[in-house]
Amino acid sequence: MLRPNFHRLPTTSRWIVILGVTATALGFTFTFNAGLNAQIASGAAISIVVLGLTWLTGWSGQISLGNSGFMACGGYFVGVWANHHAATPLVISLLFATAAGALGGLILAVPATRLRGPYLAGATLAFATVTSSLVYVFGNWTGGPTSQLFLNSLTTPSWFARMFSGIQASLNSSAQYGADLAICVAAIAFLFMSNLFHSRLGRAMTLVRDNDVSAELMGINLRRTRTIAFVIAAALGGLGGGLQTLLNGSVTPGSFPLTISITLLTLMVLGGIGTLTGAVLGGLIFAVSSNVINWLCSTAGISSTSNLGTNMQGIVFSVLLMTTMLIAPQGISGNILRGYRHLMQRFTSKIDNSPA
Amino acid sequence: MGGFLASRFMSDVFNGVANGIIFSLIALSLVVVWQSTNVLNFAQGAMATFATYIGMTQVEHGINIWLCMVISVVVGFIFGGLTERVLIRPLYGKPDINPIVVMVGFLGFLQFLAAAIWGNIPRILPSPFSQVFYTSKGHTIFLSPFVVFQILTAVTVMMIVALVFRFTTLGLKLRAAALAPEVARLLGVRVDRLLTFGWMISSAVGSFTAILVAMQNGSALSPSVMGSVFIFGFIAAAVGGLDSPIGAVVGGLLIGLVEQFTLDYWQANMAPVMALVVLIVVLMIRPRGLFTKNTQRRV
Repeated sequence: MLRPNFHRLPTTSRWIVILGVTATALGFTFTFNAGLNAQIASGAAISIVVLGLTWLTGWSGQISLGNSGFMACGGYFVGVWANHHAATPLVISLLFATAAGALGGLILAVPATRLRGPYLAGATLAFATVTSSLVYVFGNWTGGPTSQLFLNSLTTPSWFARMFSGIQASLNSSAQYGADLAICVAAIAFLFMSNLFHSRLGRAMTLVRDNDVSAELMGINLRRTRTIAFVIAAALGGLGGGLQTLLNGSVTPGSFPLTISITLLTLMVLGGIGTLTGAVLGGLIFAVSSNVINWLCSTAGISSTSNLGTNMQGIVFSVLLMTTMLIAPQGISGNILRGYRHLMQRFTSKIDNSPA
Repeated sequence: MGGFLASRFMSDVFNGVANGIIFSLIALSLVVVWQSTNVLNFAQGAMATFATYIGMTQVEHGINIWLCMVISVVVGFIFGGLTERVLIRPLYGKPDINPIVVMVGFLGFLQFLAAAIWGNIPRILPSPFSQVFYTSKGHTIFLSPFVVFQILTAVTVMMIVALVFRFTTLGLKLRAAALAPEVARLLGVRVDRLLTFGWMISSAVGSFTAILVAMQNGSALSPSVMGSVFIFGFIAAAVGGLDSPIGAVVGGLLIGLVEQFTLDYWQANMAPVMALVVLIVVLMIRPRGLFTKNTQRRV
């Protein structure tokens, strides 16, 4: 079981937990149908972006509404690159996407690390808006408004399929391959971040967040630390965006709308800000959300094509975001933690009081 | 004279001011809320759009357009107060991030709800004044009666807000509540009521702006009509300094002119990029905006 204070576990246990969860998730993809696998794949991709956001907001204390912009950086880089070099291996494409996101983060970090609170939130929001304009500005390169970039569809390499069943490929649906790929990429991102949360940089980051003056007195370079936080979050955003582009097979200026930033924020807050568990839960919620919303609509008798039906997901997510922040700002993982502590406290205090 | 007024430069100035004054109004409404409650209202645009929908869809029921505008502004006024009481009040004294997240959630909620109720298809609103440009001796001047109305009413609204804040007892109380809430409370000012009132004024100004935006030539009322306007309004407020009403007005005009000249002399898609560049450059030089007095950072 994933414990809420997961990032405090020793390194080996963390690795075992992450690999165990990954293996379980991979196992499940063999039993799911193509539709569910596609949802799992996009959930895994979005959990990577949420991971970056939770790192930036929860650990370095810088809020960003511009992560859809980083996703666009990664997504468009993969799209444009794949159009020119279709034979590029996946790993290279994803590394490029990560690098493109990181570059976008580095550029934004120059002004962003000087700003605090609402100024920062607004500036990153403006950045996310501007990225879609930039897609049009470099129209003859990105394909501009209308033309979509269709990539090679994501099919299972034969060597990979052969690993599972001798000669005949058992991974016949590419949706399952997509899901497995996304889960593996997410697992690598989570392993990397779980170490980073624990590292010297991670500890420096929390000090910068909680008390920048004492951090400065400790010899931590504030701007450098904040810039690194931004670049890492942006790199994860780029990776998630690139992965999503590969899974969708196309990228358009509408692929990364501003509403994604609201979705990301919802997933992060729901899962619990600043926790790896929260990011996993966020991805899981995103993966099953459309099923739940459809079920909700059909039970309530709302047509899925009506105005209310098409906007139901947005309404539900926004309401969840507001209510979670107002009532339980720690999110799911944080409140599990509190409940667990409460329970333990009650238990121990009962024992203490019993003789008296 | 007609030739000069019809020149490319002057038409850019007219267009830039007409757009800029809209950004100024949004920036002003953001500043009013920021000054009183230290919350940046990310839902300002969505709240205004929602109020405008409620008021302006009454036009379809045959109600006079001026009455509809009044309804929108009144709805906005009430709406602002409700928002402050229900959503913002529980968040005072919480970390910076909480109100930001809640207001972003509220923005999403209102935008999706508006789309759910009224649909995504834009509605063209009737304009109370002609949108046809004036001509002088055969030259077209890029000013129409509607644009003149827009600029004049915007200036009037700004003047009213400035006069209320500067010269009335209410304004004095509002400023006191914003500047030193503890002292104001000791002196018998009902601070919490005034904070609500600040939100109400801000929201009413926002609704009025949304009506102007939706009535503009080539624009129509849609759930996301205020999306980019809000962003530029924020940029204007941040450039001028979130504490400064004058900064908001100047910032709005600056952003409007920069966008218009970029659009005309470079390309339309570069206009938002240039607005962001202005924001970044200004914030790099003065992180709290052009018109704010530098406050001492905590040691």
